[in-house]
Amino acid sequence: MIESFGYVLAFLVAGTGFMALVLTLARFIRPNRPNDEKLSTYESGEAPVGNANVRFNPRFYLYALLFVLFEIELILLFPWAVVFGDKQLAAASENWKHFALFEMLIFIGILGLGLAYAWVKGYLEWEKPNIQAEDFKSPVPPKAYEKFN
Amino acid sequence: MTPVIALSLFGIINLFLGFTFKRQSLQVVTLLFIICSMALTAMDWNHEYLWFGDMMKTNNLSINFSLIIQLAGLLVVAFSNGFGKDEVYTQPAEYYAILLFSLVGALLMVSFQNLIMLFVGLEILSVAMYVLTGSDKRNLRSNEAALKYFLMGSFATGFLLFGIALVYGSTRSLYISGILYNLSHTAPESLPSFLYAGIILMGIGLLFKISAAPFHFWTPDVYEGAPTIFTMFMSTVVKTAGFAAIYHILDVTFGGFQKNWIITVYFITIITLILGNISAAYQQSAKRMLAFSSISHAGYMLLTVCANQPSTSSNILYYSLAYTLATAVSFAVLMVVAEYQTGRTEKPENFDALNGLAKNNPSLAFAFTVALLSLAGIPLTAGFWGKFFVFTDMFNKNLTYPIIIAVLMSAVGIYYYFKGIISVYFNSGEIEKIETSFLFKIALWSACIGTLVLGIYPTLLKSIF
Amino acid sequence: MTLPILSLIICIPLLAALVLASGKLKGYAQQISLGASLIQIGLLIKLALGYQTSTATFQWVEQHDWIHFSLGSLGQFVAKYHLGIDGLSFGLIILTGIISSIAIWNSDSIKEKTSSYFALIMLLNASLMGCFLAKDFLLFYLFFEFMLLPMYFLIGIWGGPRKEYASIKFFIYTLAGSLFILLALLALGTSYIDPYETALAIDFIQPGQAFSAENAQMIQTAIANGEIASDKWVHSFDAAVFADLKNCYYKSILHPDSAWVLGNLSAREWAFWLLFIGFGIKLPIVPFHTWLPDAHVEAPTPVSVLLAGVLLKIGAYGWLRFTLPFFPKEALEFSNILSGIGAISIIYGAFNALAMTDLKKLVAYSSISHMGFVLLGIASFTAEGWQGAIFQLISHGVLSSLLFLLVGVIYDRTHDRSIQNYSGLAQIMPAYTFITGLAFFASLGLPGFSGFIGEFFSLMGSFNSQHSSAIWAILGGLGIILGAGYFLWTFQKMFLGKQYLKNSEWLLSDLTRKEKLSLYFLGISSLLLGIFPSIIFNLTDNWVSHLINQLF
Repeated sequence: MIESFGYVLAFLVAGTGFMALVLTLARFIRPNRPNDEKLSTYESGEAPVGNANVRFNPRFYLYALLFVLFEIELILLFPWAVVFGDKQLAAASENWKHFALFEMLIFIGILGLGLAYAWVKGYLEWEKPNIQAEDFKSPVPPKAYEKFN
Repeated sequence: MTPVIALSLFGIINLFLGFTFKRQSLQVVTLLFIICSMALTAMDWNHEYLWFGDMMKTNNLSINFSLIIQLAGLLVVAFSNGFGKDEVYTQPAEYYAILLFSLVGALLMVSFQNLIMLFVGLEILSVAMYVLTGSDKRNLRSNEAALKYFLMGSFATGFLLFGIALVYGSTRSLYISGILYNLSHTAPESLPSFLYAGIILMGIGLLFKISAAPFHFWTPDVYEGAPTIFTMFMSTVVKTAGFAAIYHILDVTFGGFQKNWIITVYFITIITLILGNISAAYQQSAKRMLAFSSISHAGYMLLTVCANQPSTSSNILYYSLAYTLATAVSFAVLMVVAEYQTGRTEKPENFDALNGLAKNNPSLAFAFTVALLSLAGIPLTAGFWGKFFVFTDMFNKNLTYPIIIAVLMSAVGIYYYFKGIISVYFNSGEIEKIETSFLFKIALWSACIGTLVLGIYPTLLKSIF
Repeated sequence: MTLPILSLIICIPLLAALVLASGKLKGYAQQISLGASLIQIGLLIKLALGYQTSTATFQWVEQHDWIHFSLGSLGQFVAKYHLGIDGLSFGLIILTGIISSIAIWNSDSIKEKTSSYFALIMLLNASLMGCFLAKDFLLFYLFFEFMLLPMYFLIGIWGGPRKEYASIKFFIYTLAGSLFILLALLALGTSYIDPYETALAIDFIQPGQAFSAENAQMIQTAIANGEIASDKWVHSFDAAVFADLKNCYYKSILHPDSAWVLGNLSAREWAFWLLFIGFGIKLPIVPFHTWLPDAHVEAPTPVSVLLAGVLLKIGAYGWLRFTLPFFPKEALEFSNILSGIGAISIIYGAFNALAMTDLKKLVAYSSISHMGFVLLGIASFTAEGWQGAIFQLISHGVLSSLLFLLVGVIYDRTHDRSIQNYSGLAQIMPAYTFITGLAFFASLGLPGFSGFIGEFFSLMGSFNSQHSSAIWAILGGLGIILGAGYFLWTFQKMFLGKQYLKNSEWLLSDLTRKEKLSLYFLGISSLLLGIFPSIIFNLTDNWVSHLINQLF
């Protein structure tokens, strides 16, 4: 049991080492020309100002949920693939391959049903804010603007 | 095994049926689904087998519990009336699907052989309940209830998980059979002391779900805030499943360590009985009163868990069934009356809102009365025998002092249950004839007749349980 | 196959209640219920014709399996649907039948929801009958507790202005009492083992085979010696099983050797007191009596009649049928205290009655006082005391019904029951005055009426008793004088003297023919019982001597 945790340790050490190596390398190779914009926190294009407790648009939660859903599916798929490809297990039982494949198909099928459900329900539509057209009538005709632009 | 698979499938099917079916036909379909899965459950009668990697076990006890739970689900669906006529804000397909999924969770909780499955079942059940509690999105109290339930519930789950971890740490197994084997092959002195902490923590996690005091503070608020139909579900299905699990953990698995947990559970039982009953007596809202009454009934059922007699499981079954029938009926009547009174009176769930119900709705009034009598434990209703069997267990164990408290508390119970009867029959009020659907009537009458039949001839089911 | 008459006696009112509750025959509610109770009386007459006074055993016994549940390794529980009548219950069921039909006969004042009213009366009648007929303690208990419900609704729906308070008070008091009984019942049930049923369970005998006393003894010794595995034990609730101390398992809580003690009292003593107080609340004995005046004042007349005429008797019936045979030693041990409670009830009830201005409350307190004689007689542990107590039950059943009907007569006419608002009624209502005078004199114990016999024998028993002090008997005798005081005083104030009515618009017509019929019937019954007390004594004689032999 302890030995198997050795792999984890090796993984940690190798990962940390690789990151350290690459970042140090980059430190020396890249050009260094910072400005205010570049030094600010990356926020997917939003301006990083104000309180941290701002209200996010609930639309994002939908995407977060879908992301988590498929993430978990993938996480299960990896160990499944390892077990599925195990020759010893396959040799031990005749129906192993079919059984394992079928199980995963059911699993993905249920997730697919969930996706289909969300799709039909319209949960995947990006809810566009309903912008009201202004009824302000400018004395300047719209064509006048075209001349300037 | 089959009912779990069937109910999961039915839930998914229900989601898609929602696109085409009307709400009334969805109700019928869901009823058929539950009846179908009850039939599947019953087909396993007298077959004892392990399944799902030996993590689940089906036997007659689990089948009995499953049937009671599904019966409760059936009653809830029958009383639901398609969740009203509000097309925009209610989604019957989703509600029914979630109800079916939570039934799956409850079924896992009654037949687990592995502590992980207990946890999974509890979570399936609880998460579904959090959603349903908050389903009345425009109602602030419903939102508050959902959040409260969710926060407290996750805390309790944390306790449960911690307990499971400690038990696993000391017995090196998550399987009930493995735990029992290791416990019987280890000298009691060499067992680590955190095993006892683990037992207590697991107990606490489950006692929260059945709302035993002092873990009951969420109950009145959540019961009151949630839409009544889901309160009905919560107080019947969750409680029965929770008791099945408690029985399995405390009495079956750790029955040999009774001296280590009995003091704690005793204390909790007594507090539950006293707090539940005394607080119920002060309520103005009938729904809140029923919430406290559900706490007090948890106390009575815990008594028999404390006694841990050979007949304990059958007594829990009988009590759960009696309690389920009576609670479902009382919530159902309260629900239709509150619906009628919304807009007419300020507080449609208060006792005052029931005033004069008997005048134009004799059948609703009668059913409500029978249900309250059964909850109060008056003879010739099922509730009397539930209490009777529990007290018998206590006497067999020579636990005389808790019985005295329990008996005194049932006298207190009369006071608050009869408040409902007083409103319905003695007080005058203006309630016109309330129209109810055919399914509602059938469910109401069958639950009522069931209560009376079980009250007159308890041997009918006692011989099966 | 013979007709199950006892079951029919219970079922006929139940059927009538069902018919009435269906609401189909609304206009004929009173007729239907009257018909049902007349059929019932017919059945009672049939019983009376076939009844043998020469034995003390149960007659017309019916027995069916009813409840059966397993306790796993601790054996099983059996409760039977077991009916029978004997000298104690026979008089009381006849009383029940007659008083219920009189109550129905006089229910004209009930104008609204008549079908539910009569359905509830029928339910009450059925459960009262069930109480007196049940041989199985659990069956008795079910009827006993179920009886509260119809009574509760009868007071609560058709009662006076404070009906909610009165009805819930009635219910909580008596329910607390029945919960005490439940505790004792469970303790008894788990402690005693039924030898007959156990013999059946171990195939020692076959169903239907005779079971002799020697057989029972064999089973009892076998259980005590551990020769019968505990999962074969059968606990039952048969009253006869509880009456034999040899059936008590030696390790159980109720065995005389059990070490369980709470505050100087052993488990058996506690159980005795639980049963005593449980039934005593119903009677009622003095510290637990406060529900009774409230219930009577709020209840409509016919319900009061049933309450005083029959319901109260169940308390004393429970003592005689269950408490004394189950716990004879304990009862003897505390007999002095019991007599004391009885004497205090008599005096306290009488003094309260003296102070009452409400006629109905006066009659209610006089009930408490009269029921004290019953306790005095029972606690004497003498044959004459018990005879007197049983006689007093029936006599008071007749007389209190009569008194409440009389109060009802005047209340129907004026809706006012204050004694001081009337004077000189003798001039307006001569027939009413006559029958009231008769009832008052009968109640205060004038020789020649039934009240005298009951009180006299109870007091005589109490004087002769070796177990209770004579001072209680003297106090009880004082109660008779006080009784004479309040009855005569009331009679003088209301009926004699100058004619005065508080409200001159009151129209006081004399008794109608319908009223006269029931009132004269009850008056004559009281007179008959007073002149020929042997009607009752013949019934109870064997039963009492049997109980005496059993206890001593």
